[in-house]
Amino acid sequence: MEGFLFWFCGSLMFLGGVMMVVQRNAVVSAAWLIFAFICASGIFALLDAPFLAVMQVLVYAGAIMVLFIFVIMMLQGPALEGERTLLKLPMWPAVAVPPMAIVVMLIGYLRGHGLTSLGGRPPVGFGGPEHVARLMLGKYLFAFEMISIVLLVALIGALALGKDERKLPWK
Amino acid sequence: MPIVLESLAKIVFMFLLILGMVPVLIWAERKGAAFIQDRTGPNRAAIGGVRLAGLVHPIADVLKLVFKEDVQPDARHKAMYNMAPWAAMTIAVSSYAVIPFGDFITIAGRKIPLVVADLQVGALYVLAVASLGTYGVVMGGWAANNKFTFLGGIRATAQMISYEISMGLALMGLMLVFASLRITDIVAGQGDLIFGFLPKWGVVVQPLGFVLFITAVFAETNRNPFDLPEGESEIVAGFHLEYSSLKFALFFMAEYCHMVVGAALISAFYFGGYQIPWLPRPVLEAHAGGLLTGKLIAIIIVSGIFAVLFLRRAQKERNKFGDARDREPRIGAGLWLMVAAGAAGALLLKPWHIGPQGAEMVASIAQIFAFVGKVVFFAWLFIWVRWTLPRFRYDQLMHLGWKVMLPLGLANLVVTAVVMALV
Repeated sequence: MEGFLFWFCGSLMFLGGVMMVVQRNAVVSAAWLIFAFICASGIFALLDAPFLAVMQVLVYAGAIMVLFIFVIMMLQGPALEGERTLLKLPMWPAVAVPPMAIVVMLIGYLRGHGLTSLGGRPPVGFGGPEHVARLMLGKYLFAFEMISIVLLVALIGALALGKDERKLPWK
Repeated sequence: MPIVLESLAKIVFMFLLILGMVPVLIWAERKGAAFIQDRTGPNRAAIGGVRLAGLVHPIADVLKLVFKEDVQPDARHKAMYNMAPWAAMTIAVSSYAVIPFGDFITIAGRKIPLVVADLQVGALYVLAVASLGTYGVVMGGWAANNKFTFLGGIRATAQMISYEISMGLALMGLMLVFASLRITDIVAGQGDLIFGFLPKWGVVVQPLGFVLFITAVFAETNRNPFDLPEGESEIVAGFHLEYSSLKFALFFMAEYCHMVVGAALISAFYFGGYQIPWLPRPVLEAHAGGLLTGKLIAIIIVSGIFAVLFLRRAQKERNKFGDARDREPRIGAGLWLMVAAGAAGALLLKPWHIGPQGAEMVASIAQIFAFVGKVVFFAWLFIWVRWTLPRFRYDQLMHLGWKVMLPLGLANLVVTAVVMALV
């Protein structure tokens, strides 16, 4: 049963990822990405990580993608008017990254760091909110706070870059 | 195998409860609107002269929507256009999986908890599904390729983002008080009493959180005063403007399902869920026989009064309409008399002598009824508010979401955390 669910979620997630890349229309791409996120949440649930599974849907599929879609739609307009591609970005990074990832995984596998089972069931409460909270607000508190500062800096940077120079309050 | 059957039975029960409440709510909305606006409301559709105070109208509606032509815009995005109503409906019903509708019920020696999936992170699951709720609306609005539907979708997104944060903050206060993310724990915790007389309901321990949560739920369901995605007077009918026939019906049903979900969440988080105040489970079981007898007697009295009223109307309005509608009071009286006779027949079985198993069953069913009663009340509250308040202006909506509710939610969380740390 677990194997079936893994391959089910995994293959659908793969499909979602591929479809997201090959779609011309940005909104449809975003919809496929949401689909892939929901499948990823299924895999987290299989891995005894209920908290991560729900957070995956709540944060990525529910909040971040809603913002993405909001922005895409604001720039594009309704369906047919927006059939053009959104940005003229070079395609080569999208083509180059997946093979590189596969090569890295193959090297790891060939050098003997293959997939090995950790053995047995995880302890009760593993991956639950309490377990995650103890790690994140205890052991890894510093890293956790640093990431939030990084995000804050990025936020202020985006604001500064996006704002009209002449209208800044200190000018 | 019994586990699968159990889950299936619970899923079917929940599904029937929601889908059964949708037509009743549509009826209540029309009758309630008529009542508030001092009109009669729907009273035309009839089966054999029986109008059931307008309850036949939802059936007529379904027939109309099924047989109506499905008009679709040429320049739509086909896949998204067809998917949107299904997405809206599926997401609307999936929150139910984690809401407990009763404590437990014992059937054939098995103790069955009355919740479909008792998730460790149930409260977060509710938030996650609520955050997906906007996609049906956005996709529908975008795919129809119409500026008004598009505006409706965009409005829905912005509104959802703004109010979801307050919803999460309000729930966080509640999670702190009951020290759990599991909804069954939160509901079970509300069965206690504070100072020996006040039920420890969410609304008592988190009054501000309750106000924030109910406002956010109203915003998430896109109901008045937050129905800007529809905004008839501004953007025609918003996101579902280009939908007709069964696709429109799905959007319509999704809205009412969202209402039932909202009502169920409010009653589970803030009004004790299935808990009956001052009547904890052991007390209920101890007095189950007396309770059942009293209930049956009450049913006999109430249905008797209704039967007498209908009989009097049948006497007075013998030939009021001169058509099949004249049969209505007589049929009504007959039905109520049958209910009274049924209850009297049940009295003959000596319900005050039920054994411990029967007592458990009665207690379980009483708790399910308590939950359904609370849900019905809050669903009515949705209708009541819709026909009482005017719609917000868009800037007012944003102001309320970001500048009023967000700071209040944060303050509520901080105060709750400090109090919980000190006590």
